[in-house]
Amino acid sequence: MRSTNKGVRLAAAALGLMLAVSACGGAGEDDGAGGGKAGAPGNTAGFDGKTIKLGVITPLSGTVAVIGKPLTSGNEVWFKALNAKGGIGGKYKVELAEEDSQYKTDVAVQKYNKIKGDVAAFAQVLGTPSTLAVLPQLRTDKILAAPASLDAFWVREDNLLPVGGPYQVQAINAVDYYLSDGGGSKDDVICTMIQDDVYGEAGQQGIDFAAEKYGFSVANTQKFKLGTENYAGQIGALAGAKCQMVFLVATPSDAAKIWGTAAQARFAPQWFGQSPSYTGALAESAIAPYMQQSVLIVAEGTEWGDESVPGMKQMVDDVAKYAPEEKPDYYFAFGYNQARAMTAVLEKAVENGDLSREGVLKASTEIGTVSFEGLSGDYQYGPADQRNPPRASTIFKVDPTKPFGLAKVKYLLESDAAKEFEFKKADL
Amino acid sequence: MKVKPHRNLVRGYAQDLRLFGSPAAKAGLAAMLLVLLVLPTIVQDDFWLSVLIYSGITAIGAIGLNLLTGYCGQISLGHAFFIGAGAYCAALVGGDLGLPLPLWLLASAATGAVLGGLIGPFALRLRGHYLAIVTLGLIFIGEHLWRNLTALTGGNNGTSVLAQPRIGPVDLGALEIAGENYSRNQGYFWLVWVLVALVALLAKNLARTRPGRALCAVRDHDQAAEVIGVRAGRYKIGAFMVSSAIASMAGALFGSYQQHVSPDDWTLLLSIQYIAIIIVGGLGTIFGSILGAVFVGALPALIDEYSSAIPGVATDAGGDGFISVFALNQAIFGLLIVLFLVFEPRGLAGIWFRVKAYFKAWPFSY
Repeated sequence: MRSTNKGVRLAAAALGLMLAVSACGGAGEDDGAGGGKAGAPGNTAGFDGKTIKLGVITPLSGTVAVIGKPLTSGNEVWFKALNAKGGIGGKYKVELAEEDSQYKTDVAVQKYNKIKGDVAAFAQVLGTPSTLAVLPQLRTDKILAAPASLDAFWVREDNLLPVGGPYQVQAINAVDYYLSDGGGSKDDVICTMIQDDVYGEAGQQGIDFAAEKYGFSVANTQKFKLGTENYAGQIGALAGAKCQMVFLVATPSDAAKIWGTAAQARFAPQWFGQSPSYTGALAESAIAPYMQQSVLIVAEGTEWGDESVPGMKQMVDDVAKYAPEEKPDYYFAFGYNQARAMTAVLEKAVENGDLSREGVLKASTEIGTVSFEGLSGDYQYGPADQRNPPRASTIFKVDPTKPFGLAKVKYLLESDAAKEFEFKKADL
Repeated sequence: MKVKPHRNLVRGYAQDLRLFGSPAAKAGLAAMLLVLLVLPTIVQDDFWLSVLIYSGITAIGAIGLNLLTGYCGQISLGHAFFIGAGAYCAALVGGDLGLPLPLWLLASAATGAVLGGLIGPFALRLRGHYLAIVTLGLIFIGEHLWRNLTALTGGNNGTSVLAQPRIGPVDLGALEIAGENYSRNQGYFWLVWVLVALVALLAKNLARTRPGRALCAVRDHDQAAEVIGVRAGRYKIGAFMVSSAIASMAGALFGSYQQHVSPDDWTLLLSIQYIAIIIVGGLGTIFGSILGAVFVGALPALIDEYSSAIPGVATDAGGDGFISVFALNQAIFGLLIVLFLVFEPRGLAGIWFRVKAYFKAWPFSY
């Protein structure tokens, strides 16, 4: 009996305390913060009247850090150069809050929660899985984020600000190049080798679309898992099918093993590699001679240091000034482009006098076409359902004498088939 | 004058098995309940709340694995498979069918139990490493299924999990009590940690009664267990079912909180992480599973948060320092597993029990 009474008293005390605390413990949304109309934007999350703070969620460690680091460095260099010129609207400096996602979805969500209250928008969220994991919260929190991957789903999402031509466009343009300048014909045996995930499917989707447009059929498709050790089986199957053209969707470490296996097996079709299959180190490796002979890379923009393209000249100058140790890298250029698109949105938001989350989202629908000065095709923004991503890709060959090991073969190729590809809103 | 017996005196089995018998244990329980209720109102920071929510979800899964591995001695590398199954089940029942929280949680648990019941029979003929290898296969079969059953799992893209934390009129995603609004993270904290408490209570009850003793007998020697009248086969399958039901519940919570899951979330790495958690926390203890999950979940966040204060750690792209936060975390994680296996096989719970025993016998501790 005694102990029951004690239990009741304890429970009552706990309840009382909870009620007392709950009176001031809510962390739910309170209305209030917002922007002033026209004139100077009012203070809001991520903007203190002088500095605009942007979030970056990217793998700075782990296996994907080789992409995350240069890409983030691209963001940094762009904003340093911009701040030196005065900043957004000539007066607001931009600051980045960088968080390491380790390329894990749960860590990405935690880091998102960590900084979402302090930022006006996210200048970078790297990786398809991480972007998909934070997207539901971006929607409820009404925040704009720039994804650092070329997936087609991003095009039609209100809360995302993609840059660059999606993977599908690259694949279609690669086929177009092969069938026209590349000396191939639609009667050739055309095959694909793809990573078994979303990224691989995007490339395959482009090839399938091209197959329908140009009237060929994909003779053989080999799938592999990220980080596979031995590719002899897949290469053997492609060689057995007598493939003359193989479109490869992979990441650099796998691509190196794949081309190494193919070289040993003396299997030399015309390879086309989706842009993330390549990195500068491959041009200095033992398989460089094989790659020079058989591999073309389909990517965006131009070769590093090509002064004929105004955007490249500006970027190389900025790198020399703000990040002299940075190695030539197209992930860097991607980050640089991303920051340029985000800047366009922020300029518009400042012009509207509203840097609140809703204000930034609204500005993202009003910026119209943004030119990347030849570093990527121009992107026609606007409301998500009317956006039109660039349809141009550049075909590169491997040339170890060039800064990033790539020499352009065909600059900003824009095939008719790529123009016809429709981007639909995915059910995410 | 009424003489009270000493607080450590035990006069029967029933008394010995009491969960919160001593005054100290009662005080501990009250303190834990108080922390559970009050913590989210003090720590309102979304980052720390989300770290604790993920830790709580992991704690639930770890309790499940500890029942199977710690109590029954069946090593399973297939835990991630059941967690994934639970998440997809929540997406289907809670999202597509729009049923309320208790139903999608129970449906996930039932799915887990059925799948566990299908895998269980393999444990009858296999032991130790061989069972580990078979359950390893489960991970890869699962991965193939998740990537190809596109209608259910969304294939490689993954799928949204729109299962809402709603019970009748109460929506834990946007709580409102006495005019005060609570954030989604606060609501999930309460949901997840109340479930941790419930699952822990359930598992503890299982462990301290006949089934628990039977599981321990099977773990120590299954043939000897048969000889003394324990039906080893039944208990092995039962342990698999309960363990995977709990794992699926954890998966359902994971999906519902994160709102989007993809096959990349349920890899071998996740299973290994769970095994590490129960080793660090303490094999064969319920409390240890929770300690391990919080420790393994919160330590990386702590290191990350204060990495700028640790010399030699690089915190941003191209920053100075010889080791990244991630590499430091990995190194500490690996080191901990080795140190615990060598010096403290009973894990964090073992340390706790020793501290408790010291104070119980105080002032005659030795």
